Amino acid sequence: MLLSGANTERFNMATPVSVLRLPKGPDPNSRGFDPKSPRFIALCRTSIATSASSETNAEQLPIEQHARSVLRETFLRCLLSMTNKKVQFLMHERVKVEATFGASDIDVLNFQVSDLHTPIGVQKEALIRCQDVISFTFDS
Amino acid sequence: MAMRQTPLTCSGHTRPVVDLAFSGITPYGYFLISACKDGKPMMRHGDTGDWIGTFLGHKGAVWGATLNTDATKAATAAADFTAKVWDAVSGDEVLTLAHKHIVKTVNFTKDSTCLLTGGNDKLLRLYDLINPEAAPQEIAGHTSAIKKALWCNNDKQILSAADDKTIRLWDRSSMEEVKQLKFDTAVSSMEYLADGEILVITYGKTIGFYNALSLDLIKTVDAPAPINSASLHPDKDFFVAGGEDFKLYKFDYGTKEELESYKGHFGPVHCVRFSPDGELYASGSEDGTLRLWQTAVGKTYGLWKCVLPEELGLENSEQLYTTPPEIKA
Repeated sequence: MLLSGANTERFNMATPVSVLRLPKGPDPNSRGFDPKSPRFIALCRTSIATSASSETNAEQLPIEQHARSVLRETFLRCLLSMTNKKVQFLMHERVKVEATFGASDIDVLNFQVSDLHTPIGVQKEALIRCQDVISFTFDS
Repeated sequence: MAMRQTPLTCSGHTRPVVDLAFSGITPYGYFLISACKDGKPMMRHGDTGDWIGTFLGHKGAVWGATLNTDATKAATAAADFTAKVWDAVSGDEVLTLAHKHIVKTVNFTKDSTCLLTGGNDKLLRLYDLINPEAAPQEIAGHTSAIKKALWCNNDKQILSAADDKTIRLWDRSSMEEVKQLKFDTAVSSMEYLADGEILVITYGKTIGFYNALSLDLIKTVDAPAPINSASLHPDKDFFVAGGEDFKLYKFDYGTKEELESYKGHFGPVHCVRFSPDGELYASGSEDGTLRLWQTAVGKTYGLWKCVLPEELGLENSEQLYTTPPEIKA
């Protein structure tokens, strides 16, 4: 028992195994899943809407891709035109708030807003978590 | 020349790591997913520990996480009463499956068409991923929270471990209980090896090995401290275990002899798993880190580099450096 692995550390002059570098940690600015990685490029040709989708029809693919591009562009233009406008957000738990829209972050995880009107007062500056938003409306 | 183990610390989580799982070996290597009480499960390259991405969406502690064999899908079980299925290439959330209580465990079938879940509502649920809107099949029987549920016997059967101190074997088609193992104390973890149909169970200070089809006992081995998780090497020559004394233990499976123990974590070890190629094992701890450990210490693999005595004094463009066993997160 005296010569078990744990105790030999005291007497062991063995060299620690060399390491090329430490494992890379998370990027603080993004959630990862680099679209430039070989795996992403090879496997993400189609957008996978649900886990149920299997091999996408080859003719459907360009049509789907075009539709997605159009939708994405519309969404981004919508965000642009919302800047500095009053927007009403419908959120989970029957929450309806109004605020002046500032900007979105790159992954559309948070919206930066000003003058957020809440039932307990007006918040001068706030972040709205996009996961919690069901819909939003504004006058363009 | 004797070599000392240098574990690789994977930082990033801010709360205890409670579960981890490896994918199978894919054309792009193999991958690792970790479940954390911070609600943000992470995916990493399995051989280096390099972070790939974080699955964002859960609103509570994530208790269980798994990858399918080809690492294209991930599933997570959380305290927000949902299990989620994710696209493991893009990181996008694909499905949210609402439950009536905390979900603790998730497991894909080999063809990824069915997801098994279990949790504090004491029910096992089978979700058809081809028709996700359909209501899941439910298997009742356990009298307390389910801690772990796994497919076995070529996805024809299900093994579940619960706080009611039982492990139960169920038939998928009949949905009935086939066999039951009773313990005096709660089972802390369960691992299933399809190759050889072996079940690895930990309870108290004991690691038990069972035949997964018959639930017959093969052997038990006692460790020096309470064990939270154990994993058997794919070649079934070693197994590793970790628990409340923060250490990782390596045992010879054949002789049951304790071969090595390693310090490194700053908190209890909650989960430990061998990689699919058996070259390393990963441990997750209360200290919020994952650590990767070599099976054959000193071998060149992943980020570890075997340095021959002649090379030690030389200037090397690869920038080798030795790091002490305890690397700060």
